[in-house]
Amino acid sequence: MNSDLEITGSRMQITRVFDAPRERVFDAWKRPDLMARWSGCKETAKVEITMDFRVGGSFTQKMDIDGAGQHTITGVYDEIIEPQKIAYHVNLGPATTRVVVEFIAQGRRTKVVLTQEGFPDPSIVKMVSTGTLESLDKLERLLLAQAA
Amino acid sequence: MVNKQNRVSAIFAALADPTRRRIMVRLSERGETAVTALAKPFRISPPGFSKHLRVLEKAHLIQRHRQGRLHLIRARSAGLKEAQKWMAQCAAFWDSRFDQLNEVLQSEQRKEKKR
Repeated sequence: MNSDLEITGSRMQITRVFDAPRERVFDAWKRPDLMARWSGCKETAKVEITMDFRVGGSFTQKMDIDGAGQHTITGVYDEIIEPQKIAYHVNLGPATTRVVVEFIAQGRRTKVVLTQEGFPDPSIVKMVSTGTLESLDKLERLLLAQAA
Repeated sequence: MVNKQNRVSAIFAALADPTRRRIMVRLSERGETAVTALAKPFRISPPGFSKHLRVLEKAHLIQRHRQGRLHLIRARSAGLKEAQKWMAQCAAFWDSRFDQLNEVLQSEQRKEKKR
């Protein structure tokens, strides 16, 4: 893993510093032609991207993955602050995963902080604000300790 | 992978409800518990309580078995482990995408210098 990773409870945060100015890194998320060149994992043969890059607009990523067939991800942009922040959510059946990407300028370099939460909305907001997520952490630890 | 994602979604959906989280906490503190004893501190009708249990059961977060007339409930840790594993998989996915993003940014930079 070349990125820094932090998993707490149901929240994942991944951080990477890119050797490019912030506008350029932001562009790679904004322009479908650029995004198609880096989306998908190593096993992805082909990526097709459509996007309506504005708040409330949606995007789709159609991927051909070796050995796993075709996958399509559809999401909706919740917040766009150019060139600092992009937030969107993706529906996965009964639950929703939320992704927030922050672009932090560090001279000519850019730190990208991506946070992903896999919770149905809007309970996650409530849970985080009321601190009940801590009880979930506690529960997780308890259960893992029981299993050990 | 799609099925797995549905399973993980079911886990998160199940735990998004405060009553169900309290049921899980109570179960993890008490160990195996009879349904009636488990339901005691909750002000919910028996059918309502069973409904919550069914959601947790479907998400593989609890397991139930019968002992005579008693219905016993036990917490399962495998479900939560799976949710954690899914997070780790997402992270690995992003990490490999970031590798590729890095390459795209470098090649764009080289193009620019040539101009």
